[in-house]
Amino acid sequence: MTNRPLSLTVNGKVRPLDGVPESERLLDTIRWRLGLRGTKEGCRSGECGACTVLVDGVSTLSCLTLSHEVDGSSLTTIEGMADDPVGHEVEEAFARAGALQCGYCTPGFVIALVGLLNERGRSASVDELLADLGGNLCRCTGYLSIARAVALLQKEGR
Amino acid sequence: MPSFSLVTPTTVEAAIAELRTGAPGEVAVLAGGTDLVFDLDRAGPNLRRVLSLRCLPWRTLDWNGPVLTVGSTLPLRSLEEDPDVARRHPGLFQAIRAVGGVPLRHRATLGGNLGRAAPASDLLPVLLVLDAEVDVVGPSGSRSVSVDQFLLGSRRTTLARGELIRSVRFPEPRPSAYLWQRVRPANDISQVAVAAAFSPSDRHWRLAVGGIPPRAVRLPEAERALSSPDPTREELGSAAEHATHHLSIAADRRASEEYRRHLVGVLLERAVRSASARSLEAGRLDP
Amino acid sequence: MSGSRPRPDAAAKLTGSAVYGMDLEAPGMLWAALVPSPIAHGRLRSVDLAPARALAGVVAVGAAEVASLLSGSKGDPERPIFPLETVVFRNQPVAAVAAPTLELARQAARAVRVEVDPLPIVADLEDVFPVWPAANAEGSPFVAAHVRARSGDVEEAFRTAETVVRETYRTSSVHQVAIEPHACLAEVDGDVWRVRSSTQTPFGLREDIASLLGVPEEKVVVEGTWVGGGFGGKNSALLEPYALLLAKASGRPVKLALGYREEFLLGRTTLPSVIRMESAVTKGAIVARRVRLLLDVGTSLPGRDFATGYSIGFLLGPYRTPTFEVEGYAVMTNKPAFGAHRAPFAPQCAFVLESHLDHVAREAGLDPIAFRAAHLWKEGDTTPMGQKVGPFGLATAFEKARSTAARWRAEARPDAGVGVAAGFWSTGTGAGGEARLRLSPSELTVVQGEREIGSGSVLAGVAAVAARATGLPRDRVTVAYEDTAHAPFDSGVFGSRTTAALGRATEEAARALFEDLGKRLESPSPVRLEVRHGEIVAVAGAKESTIRELSTEEERRTGGIVAVGKHYGKSGTIDESKVEAGTFYPYTDFTGAAHVAEVWVDRETGTVRVTRYAAFHDIGTVVDSATAPAQVEGGVVMGLGTALTEEAIWSDEGRLLNAGLLDYRLPTLGSVPPIEVTFVEGFLGAGPFGAKGLGEPPIIPVAAAVALAVRDATGAHVTELPLSSERVARALKLL
Repeated sequence: MTNRPLSLTVNGKVRPLDGVPESERLLDTIRWRLGLRGTKEGCRSGECGACTVLVDGVSTLSCLTLSHEVDGSSLTTIEGMADDPVGHEVEEAFARAGALQCGYCTPGFVIALVGLLNERGRSASVDELLADLGGNLCRCTGYLSIARAVALLQKEGR
Repeated sequence: MPSFSLVTPTTVEAAIAELRTGAPGEVAVLAGGTDLVFDLDRAGPNLRRVLSLRCLPWRTLDWNGPVLTVGSTLPLRSLEEDPDVARRHPGLFQAIRAVGGVPLRHRATLGGNLGRAAPASDLLPVLLVLDAEVDVVGPSGSRSVSVDQFLLGSRRTTLARGELIRSVRFPEPRPSAYLWQRVRPANDISQVAVAAAFSPSDRHWRLAVGGIPPRAVRLPEAERALSSPDPTREELGSAAEHATHHLSIAADRRASEEYRRHLVGVLLERAVRSASARSLEAGRLDP
Repeated sequence: MSGSRPRPDAAAKLTGSAVYGMDLEAPGMLWAALVPSPIAHGRLRSVDLAPARALAGVVAVGAAEVASLLSGSKGDPERPIFPLETVVFRNQPVAAVAAPTLELARQAARAVRVEVDPLPIVADLEDVFPVWPAANAEGSPFVAAHVRARSGDVEEAFRTAETVVRETYRTSSVHQVAIEPHACLAEVDGDVWRVRSSTQTPFGLREDIASLLGVPEEKVVVEGTWVGGGFGGKNSALLEPYALLLAKASGRPVKLALGYREEFLLGRTTLPSVIRMESAVTKGAIVARRVRLLLDVGTSLPGRDFATGYSIGFLLGPYRTPTFEVEGYAVMTNKPAFGAHRAPFAPQCAFVLESHLDHVAREAGLDPIAFRAAHLWKEGDTTPMGQKVGPFGLATAFEKARSTAARWRAEARPDAGVGVAAGFWSTGTGAGGEARLRLSPSELTVVQGEREIGSGSVLAGVAAVAARATGLPRDRVTVAYEDTAHAPFDSGVFGSRTTAALGRATEEAARALFEDLGKRLESPSPVRLEVRHGEIVAVAGAKESTIRELSTEEERRTGGIVAVGKHYGKSGTIDESKVEAGTFYPYTDFTGAAHVAEVWVDRETGTVRVTRYAAFHDIGTVVDSATAPAQVEGGVVMGLGTALTEEAIWSDEGRLLNAGLLDYRLPTLGSVPPIEVTFVEGFLGAGPFGAKGLGEPPIIPVAAAVALAVRDATGAHVTELPLSSERVARALKLL
């Protein structure tokens, strides 16, 4: 096994890393080497969506991504959302709609939603957005408050 | 979790050469990673190298008249978002939407899915009814083979050592439908699925069932029972009966044999009706 | 009361700065992994740790090391940390290892050589009782607990009844499936055993660890982290003892997090059951009932089963049943022990009871909803076990549900179905707690020993109580959490008890605080608090003073004036003369819920889709209007999982076949119906301002409501959970 340097731009800052094993997953690089633990480890098998990040603006399951596969990319995590205009709006909508309880799935949902808005445009319909959030699981809220947050977001965003 | 080195060739030749070195089981191919990384333990104890395809020029989607050629490492989401795909291959669109969730589809690929040949794959039944062809490159050059011949069984294909899937070709747009039965609507594995497509060129139906181990299969006897793009109720019933009668079905923890058999009949009729409605709607299809 | 501002924890959680158990890290820490037993039952011949220890940096502990690590203490002889002679469930940890990286730890765990000689595996209930247990079955070595109670001449009542209905139901195992796996970080500091953990019950965990390790409780310090979902699964010491032993052995901090598969393989949760229900009806009234419960309790210890005697009450109530006989067996199998899962086993009981009574009514030619309504408990009734029913809003909730159902039926498409189901729970289970208030010149802090696990019961509920009890605005109240060494004792966040019990303790503390302030002001008049220009002022009669002025120098230095309150709830009593065997449990209060489900059933495939849902909850008083409906929505959706898609499938060899999210299906966003939530207030409970708990009741009637809706739509009577499409297809005679 080889350990190699890895270079990622993380939330706008270049973060070069040394000695990253080629078998390492992006989730672990983010959480333990970059120290950004807002991205959560849930099932570690691509089914819960808690580990969702943006790679070059595109939503990606970091638990199933090898870090070196995205060498040179621009990575956005939940920590970068407060400074992102769309991310900030999403967070506000979630807070106002009370769309979280334990909060563990929340970063994944925020990122997935920002990713969808990047893809579909800021004025995507609520139904389209909800239809595309099926890859994120929540066990606390029953999803309805999350749906309300999306509705609030799109109502205010016009 | 095994450790390995990651090799990322920038040319097809280098990729093929990489595949041919080393002992069997030493190398695994990485497309999107949603199957491989998900299930690394399955890659076996001899795994030493993972061959990444990300630098190969295969993230492509091309229409050449009616023929659609999809590069093997194009993310499924890109295929899904192409409006021509949704319009001309609605069954393919439905099948792609059935795979995981959006973040997963940003990395999952057609080539990866095909190479994996998982018994419950949502894409393979549709590839069968669209008569898709697999373009393979390897040490002895290129070859093309129908998906039906490409798939040997559960996680087994005719890919020989040193070969890679370059692209998948769809010869013609067909009114098609893909319907599945699952425990829940999103992000799930199908217990049974049926794909149906009507070929405007030879005026025959193609039917395939998926979700049942060991692999997705065509239903030739059922296909023969349908004579027109708008089959009658009797024909549908007959096709359903042929399908359920001739199919070899195993039970597993997802569903019993009788239930699967029953579902094949129900989904077959629905898929054919859906594809048929699309056929009538489309009228004359684009060339 | 209150609640349109964002939750106090929203910012930390939305920005990713909240630290959960999975996020814990300490300098020099080692990562741990557990060594699993390869089979479900066997005699342990050897556990060879040498191959693991041969790997660089690996520390390994097994049964042989425990005594010396615990300085000779024997721990709990009934619950040895590692099995000494026999393994009793597949994947039971037989050793634990720690290493500098997780990958190395997993490699080391795989390297340990475990030799087990197979013994016959008891995989499920049918292995123990292929037919119903005969008399004296309680003598069987596989019976962990046996309960029986009786009242009246049951045989006579059945003999002379107009209609007698006998049915058998089966329910499945379901898992809590929090998105965050269990995780902890342990450190041993001299003779102090410290652990930080994602836990619902810091003090309960402390007690459990102390007992397992055989050390005094004061030598164990538990600090809770934010919890990424508990649902009953994070209220026992599932992994902390292993981490602590490794920390002791290595002298380093040790992080132990379960892999997601391990969550399923090791989790203690609701296990399968077989339930026989028999009812005798004459002239529209229930004259007698018999209930027989066979509950799989996995490897629960004899004498430690709480489930059977408690759960069996939910197969009797909330219906008046003067003549009855109940019998329950807790049956041991080779699975992890039965554990708490949100309203333990009550959703399954409600499904069985409601489905059965609905069926009985139909068989007797009676309206199923009117039949149940006529027998529902009201305040002043006596439960079958002889307890007086306190203030109870279920009948009111049921009436509202009934009228909603009638309206939906009239509006619905012809192939839809509507079901109404009742359920009840006892919230505020008597387990007590203490709260400490600290009043500084500008704010009030509630200091307590609970973490906020998500429901809002601590951050919102308790804070709201403190605000109302002191008259201060909500934004002047914060909640502070401290570890078990510094916090006042509390039993834990479970059993829907938090707002009630901790809230009452907070009320007591407020009373003590005001008494103290009155003395400081030297006034006998009632004290009130006001906020002026950012400062808190205490006013009593003509006297007034700022808190700053009233505080001593010491108090100003340490944060403010402190007052303590305790609350230990009272339980009711049952009529022991009805008990023939085992232990039955009284209720602390009576919390009702009535739900309505509208479904559409695909008649060719048996697929059930829930199209609309309404929940009516007997809540006493709404303490926080933002988080209360959220609890109901979350509980209902979890209940839909229990009703339709969740089922842990075990093989003949005690192997869990679907240990992962791929094949253990949680509800997703696309499968959730709109849910109307209505609170029925006024039937006051044991909590502050008459509040009743809300964490668990919402999950209880869901499976029942869905099953009855399916029956209403199709006539299909499904007697098994979950209502998978295949089971519905069979009930529809499609196969």
